[in-house]
Amino acid sequence: MKLTSGALRLDMPSVEARIKRFIKDYVEKCGANGVVLGVSGGLDSCITAALASLSLGGHKVLGIAMPEEETYNATDIQHSKLLAKKFGFDLQIVDISSTLKVFFQSLPIYDVADKVSKGNVKARIRMVYLYYYANKLNRLVCGTSDKSEIMMGYFTKWGDGAADISPIMDLYKTQVRQLALHIGVPAEIVAKPPSPGLWPNQLAEKELGIKYEILDLILFGLEHFMEPKEIAKELNLPIKLVEDVKRRWLATEHKRRLPLTTKLGYRTVGKDFRLPHKPY
Amino acid sequence: MLEKFNVALAQISCKVGDKKHNINTMKKNIKQAKEKGANLIIFPELSLTGYLNRDLAYELAEPIPGPSIHSLEEIAKKENTYIVFGMPEQSEKAHNVLYNTAVLLGPNGLIGKYRKMHLPTHSVFEEKRYFRLGYEAPVFETKIGKLGLAICYDIFFPEIPRLLRLKGSQLIICISASPAVRSRFFEAFTATRALENTVFLAYVNLVGVENGLQFWGGSRIIAPDGSILAKAKYDEEDLVIGNIDYADLKRAEAFVPTLRDLRPELFDSLREQAEKL
Repeated sequence: MKLTSGALRLDMPSVEARIKRFIKDYVEKCGANGVVLGVSGGLDSCITAALASLSLGGHKVLGIAMPEEETYNATDIQHSKLLAKKFGFDLQIVDISSTLKVFFQSLPIYDVADKVSKGNVKARIRMVYLYYYANKLNRLVCGTSDKSEIMMGYFTKWGDGAADISPIMDLYKTQVRQLALHIGVPAEIVAKPPSPGLWPNQLAEKELGIKYEILDLILFGLEHFMEPKEIAKELNLPIKLVEDVKRRWLATEHKRRLPLTTKLGYRTVGKDFRLPHKPY
Repeated sequence: MLEKFNVALAQISCKVGDKKHNINTMKKNIKQAKEKGANLIIFPELSLTGYLNRDLAYELAEPIPGPSIHSLEEIAKKENTYIVFGMPEQSEKAHNVLYNTAVLLGPNGLIGKYRKMHLPTHSVFEEKRYFRLGYEAPVFETKIGKLGLAICYDIFFPEIPRLLRLKGSQLIICISASPAVRSRFFEAFTATRALENTVFLAYVNLVGVENGLQFWGGSRIIAPDGSILAKAKYDEEDLVIGNIDYADLKRAEAFVPTLRDLRPELFDSLREQAEKL
């Protein structure tokens, strides 16, 4: 199999139609009034909000921007507003700084230097806000993660990973960029370096140690049952880099599943209870 | 026997687990198809229940004949028509032994059934978890010719359509629940199976979204020369009528005589090699 950027090319009008149909169908089957999602001003949340608006109509999409003082970025807020205007969805800005402050103050073991634990709290607090809106307004929480992040486990468990539907979760980051340009997300948003925004100057590619253009091809190879040595040869990369990606992918499976339990009963949740989503 | 007749491809979406709703959808389509002059109305695989029933299959399955068959028999009789649809069938002898079955009804009621012989259990498919393999590929002699039935993944294999054709089938009806990522396979196989057997082939696929899976529609009737006689929309519900004229079989059989040129002596070797794979 040839691992070139062409391998990741998709029929974007068809992908757009399928994602829109998927969102509309599930929201209607659930009897929900629409979706609520966190809009950071980054590519993934912007494209998801745009697709949801194109699918449901902007009046059924509520974007929540949840800045906090440590990572406040005026450009991101401006991009969120720009997108909301362009695609016609509602945007509310909720500053979560005071909530975070109270939360951290209440922690007996709070360690200001542990930026990962602290950063994950930010993602989980944002999730709590989103589910409040969802409950209150009878909406679904729409996740914004892409396939590259999900396969790498590059998200906060039960934080930004928590959602009712995740419309772009089967698209690699480089495919998300193609789709974003196709549906008219402004180029300045598409071109921004991705960041989870959990601490100042956090950049996804720096943290992952690899450019998305390469990462996506490695993941695409793994998805298609290629051995790391085949992928390394095809992409002219050190085998260690490919093996590290594979190891990280396998090690983070726990983030993509229901909690593990030991089997005791006749049929067990998450194991052999196999039920359809939303029957009847 | 009618040499020329109309076939309706009833490309519907189903509500998972809701037989009442799905039977009502079928009734509406049958009525509309009859108004358009259809003699045979075909619905997708597992159209009685929806495709992705998972563990609900055990409670949804019914014996044949059973309550849902009776309900649809009444419509077939009332509308004086032939109907093909799909359902999870419960064995007569064991409650939780199920089959993925295609049913043929006619103006006098139940004519017969076909139990799917190739059950996909890979990728998003888990059919062997729920269904037992079928063992027979019958051909039914009716007033609209000799009909053979197949279900979805069966068409990936040349054996079932060939067997049906060798048993005299003039029209092979393949009901399906194929997700969108597989459309190119079905587009190729439907044409190939009709051509290589010089037979009419009617393919009816599901549409709609179940468990995030999107079914692509694209139902069609292929003539024995590979041409498309009728084609339904992609991704949307549709009801399309096509006309079948069995006289075309003769012409195709003479133009590309694949049946005449069959080499049965290869079949033993095929079996031997397949068993050793």
